[in-house]
Amino acid sequence: MTYFTIILPLALRNLRRQIRRTALTASAMIIGGALLIFTLSFGDGAHEQWIDSGVRQDSGHITIERPNFRITRKIEDRLPEQIRLTAEQAIETLRSTGYIDTASSKLTVLGLASSPAGARPVQIIGVDPVSEALFTTLDDLTIEGRYLESTDTLAAFVGIGLMRSLDLEIGSRLVLTAQDTTNEIAGQLVRVTGAFETGVEAADQSLVHIPINTANDWLTANNAVTNIGILVEPSHVAPQISSQLQQILGASLSMRDVAVMNWKEAMPELASAVMIDDFGAYVVNGLLLIVIAFGIINTVLMSVLHRHREFGVLQALGLTPKQTSAIVLSEGLVLTTVSGVLGIVISISLSRYFLGDGIDLSALVPEGSEISGTTIDPVVIPMFRTARIVQSFGWILVIGLISSIYPAVRASRIDITESMKFDR
Amino acid sequence: MKTGLFLIIPIFNNYWYDRFMNLRFLTILFILGSSSVIAQDESPKEIMQRVDRLLRGDSSQGTATMEVVTEHWERQVTLEVWSLGTDYSLLRVLSPAKEAGTATLMSENDIWNYLPKVDRSIKMPASMMAGSWMGSHFSNDDLVKESQLVEDYDITLSYRGARDGTNVWEFDLSPLPEAPVVWDRIIYQVRQSDYMPLWAKFFDENGNLSRTMTFSEFTEMGGRLIPLVMEMQPTDKPNEYTKLRYDMMQFDVGLDTSFFSLRNLKRQR
Amino acid sequence: MTWQRLGWRNLQRNYKRTLITAAGLSFSYFAVVLLVGWMSGITAELVENATGLSGGQIEIHASDYRPDRSLYDTIGGRDGTDVSRLLRQVTDDPVVISATPRVYAAGLISSGDTTSAGMLWGIDPNREPTVSRFLQNLESGHIPRPSHNEIAIGIEMARQLNVTTGDELVIVAPGADGSTGNDLFTVSGTFRTGLTRLDATVGVFALEDLQLLVALNRARIHEVAVAVTLPSVADETALRLASSTQADNPAIKVASWTEFSPQIEEYRVLVEGMHIILFGIVFFVAAFGVANTMLMATHERRREFAVMLALGITPRTLILTVLYEAFSVGLIAVVIGSTVTFPTMIWLHNAPLDMSWLYKDMTFFGSLVTPTFRVEYDVGTWIQGGLGLLMTSVLAALYPAIRASRIPPADTLSGL
Repeated sequence: MTYFTIILPLALRNLRRQIRRTALTASAMIIGGALLIFTLSFGDGAHEQWIDSGVRQDSGHITIERPNFRITRKIEDRLPEQIRLTAEQAIETLRSTGYIDTASSKLTVLGLASSPAGARPVQIIGVDPVSEALFTTLDDLTIEGRYLESTDTLAAFVGIGLMRSLDLEIGSRLVLTAQDTTNEIAGQLVRVTGAFETGVEAADQSLVHIPINTANDWLTANNAVTNIGILVEPSHVAPQISSQLQQILGASLSMRDVAVMNWKEAMPELASAVMIDDFGAYVVNGLLLIVIAFGIINTVLMSVLHRHREFGVLQALGLTPKQTSAIVLSEGLVLTTVSGVLGIVISISLSRYFLGDGIDLSALVPEGSEISGTTIDPVVIPMFRTARIVQSFGWILVIGLISSIYPAVRASRIDITESMKFDR
Repeated sequence: MKTGLFLIIPIFNNYWYDRFMNLRFLTILFILGSSSVIAQDESPKEIMQRVDRLLRGDSSQGTATMEVVTEHWERQVTLEVWSLGTDYSLLRVLSPAKEAGTATLMSENDIWNYLPKVDRSIKMPASMMAGSWMGSHFSNDDLVKESQLVEDYDITLSYRGARDGTNVWEFDLSPLPEAPVVWDRIIYQVRQSDYMPLWAKFFDENGNLSRTMTFSEFTEMGGRLIPLVMEMQPTDKPNEYTKLRYDMMQFDVGLDTSFFSLRNLKRQR
Repeated sequence: MTWQRLGWRNLQRNYKRTLITAAGLSFSYFAVVLLVGWMSGITAELVENATGLSGGQIEIHASDYRPDRSLYDTIGGRDGTDVSRLLRQVTDDPVVISATPRVYAAGLISSGDTTSAGMLWGIDPNREPTVSRFLQNLESGHIPRPSHNEIAIGIEMARQLNVTTGDELVIVAPGADGSTGNDLFTVSGTFRTGLTRLDATVGVFALEDLQLLVALNRARIHEVAVAVTLPSVADETALRLASSTQADNPAIKVASWTEFSPQIEEYRVLVEGMHIILFGIVFFVAAFGVANTMLMATHERRREFAVMLALGITPRTLILTVLYEAFSVGLIAVVIGSTVTFPTMIWLHNAPLDMSWLYKDMTFFGSLVTPTFRVEYDVGTWIQGGLGLLMTSVLAALYPAIRASRIPPADTLSGL
């Protein structure tokens, strides 16, 4: 085809000829491409972490609960044993997809914690120590004692704030009180096995983990749970797994009794935070690429205007105006995409090598930061996704195209005779 | 075993929580003295069990004055009290006029408060239970606590002999392994001669005395010997106390569970 | 001057190129101002919501009030204070817009079948909307009127208690005299702050009604919430108010929002620091465009430069010519940039875009951020942007200018 034999070589040769100009323009685009993928991958990394943090502190990437529970948070809206077992089984069948990381069933109730020193309102979460240790981040934040273990019965894992308010130590008695499933108020003794510190006062003052069996007996729950939280890896498969679960459960259960939600539905504030951050990155990068585009337009346009004699000769030799503009278009596109891709590659390699373990922003980020109720880890680890790389490449291509259109059109309008007149 | 342990509203200041006393425990104690046939060699547990038996089916009615002194204010309230065993009680405020008619009904594990000004009865939610009752050093929780001391505590005799010239027993109560009670230890001192309780002390896990209850003015009323005055004092606030004095008390008044109803709660007389 | 005229004339000769370069530069100006404006808009909203949504930018309490927030710790202790005098002292300050008294208590709110624990706020219905915003646009009904036993509740609480405007609620709260305060209140309206912890737990009363309920006399209040013209002047104003109210109320504490929401202040400072970085990146990238153009331009005109040098113009002057050319392009860019940017910013500022199609409310450091594209601008940024732009053009042209001055005149003129 004439394209590859004539047009493309001409385009490439011209880039080579004006090496300095090419290099300068390319540098701009390399930086553009590099910045683009850099902000996107660190952004994705940060978001992944917010999401991870958020879902572990709440109810997982996917949560199975009674439809009303999220609003009422009352023990009346629990999943009875039968439904719980069906749901757990459904989760098991999906483990073969390899996406399911952990599932943790919980019995949560709002109540009171008292000691001789006082009483505080708390959120009491009955958990299976083994699966919850994989699920939650609290066990990693233990500062005294230890997290719950599977052999524990009368144990409680509390926040450091609560510990101080109620004057507790490891091994102290703690009495929990809440309304049970028969609408009666019931008390339960536990002993503190450990304490965590998140830095967020609300969590440190009010979260208490106890073994689910203990909670079950205390509240006469008959093996019911208030929710089943599921963690998936990677997070973006959540909607897909969620709908699969919904299908499986829908076959045997009514959607009035059980709801399957992914984290975007269960934690809309967090989803918003991610959206706004992404949006911000798009705006910044978009604007930057446009600035670069201006530079590209100028460069390609100038090269067209300088080569009008050359084009005149080529056209006299038989090249059509369309083919002429194809040359210019190719030049612009090749310049843009090659340098853009180069930028992406450089950025990824450098990021991976030097910053693969993450950037530590703790100097910048205030202590105990939280966004939409989720604590933020100041160390941001980049996440390189193929989808993003393709997306970035696409944008670069578009910019290259847009910048080259005007010069290409100009090139096609060269008047052969005018251009070959003797003229400097 | 359900025990009625209710704990405070989160937003109620801790301040209120401090004031609490086991009213049931008091009742046990003054019934303790009612029987004159108690063998000298009974075990502590047996003594308590006898008390238990004495309480079942025993009804009472009386009036009392309660005086509360706190850092911020002082109050005096007169009450009329009815009770049946450990599961049912009805308390009604007689004076001051501003609060007359306010009543509290305890029926098994539930507490209801009637407020005459708004003519409404409100059931206490879990979060309210540690709140103080009528501003006193009693909590709603104590009023309802169904648990018998025997059920929640292991009772041993720690001292038997003379203290200040009187022969007393001192019982050491430590909670059974799974009992949902916050105290690590309660000691109470009982007069050997007539089984009158003299004081009870409540300790936390660090061995610190949290509060003390003292009994005095032992008088015969309604055919039984009872301590007329019970005073509760928190250790951390030595200038505060709640003092309950029985003005009149009669026993075996023929009440049954139907008396302790929401309707009676509202009734003004 | 020669170099001025020469430089300017050359720009005109290749006006298309000049225009595109200028366009690129003015776009970068627009980009920077827009981005900085947007970032400022977000922090402004954060600060506003942290400080003006449910309270003021400054809070005045008895010195022992925080953190326990005891019912008894009223300003002036048990004797209270001369409230109207205190308010006057505060509003006398020039930057204070308004001040309003508050009373706080904890209690139960019951609809009969459902009872929930609540935080009870006593407010002044006339003054409060001048300090905080959450009662300005009620979801339904009206603000509670004094002596009418009215209460306004958050929409979450309304939902949990299953009540609407006009329904009756029983309020029970321990009084400051040990009695149990209780009374019936009618829901006069519902409000929405966007923050669940407020919408689900706060009940708002007329100040005197709440004082009566919890046995506090008229002189006893817990807080004076103060609104000032700008959140940024809150710190200094707090200090001034502390001294002006000292005489009458010795045991008082005046705190600005930076004290009770320090994280937001830290974040704001952080974002300001980012402005510089943004400037740097955008103009750095723009510089490449300018450098390229100037390089091409000087290469084209090398014969012209050779002639100039041969005629005796010093290399230094030549450099200045080129730089002046770049400077002029920058100037044009500033003009174009400003004409496009300023109206856009003013328009966006007054008519923020609704972004709720993309995302919903979120909270950051406990403060609300709503889905609007909102910008804040200040002349300082515009000027800095303009200077940055000019600097960029000149610096970018430095290398091409130096290269131009090094052209060997004879060789160039003889060859091609």
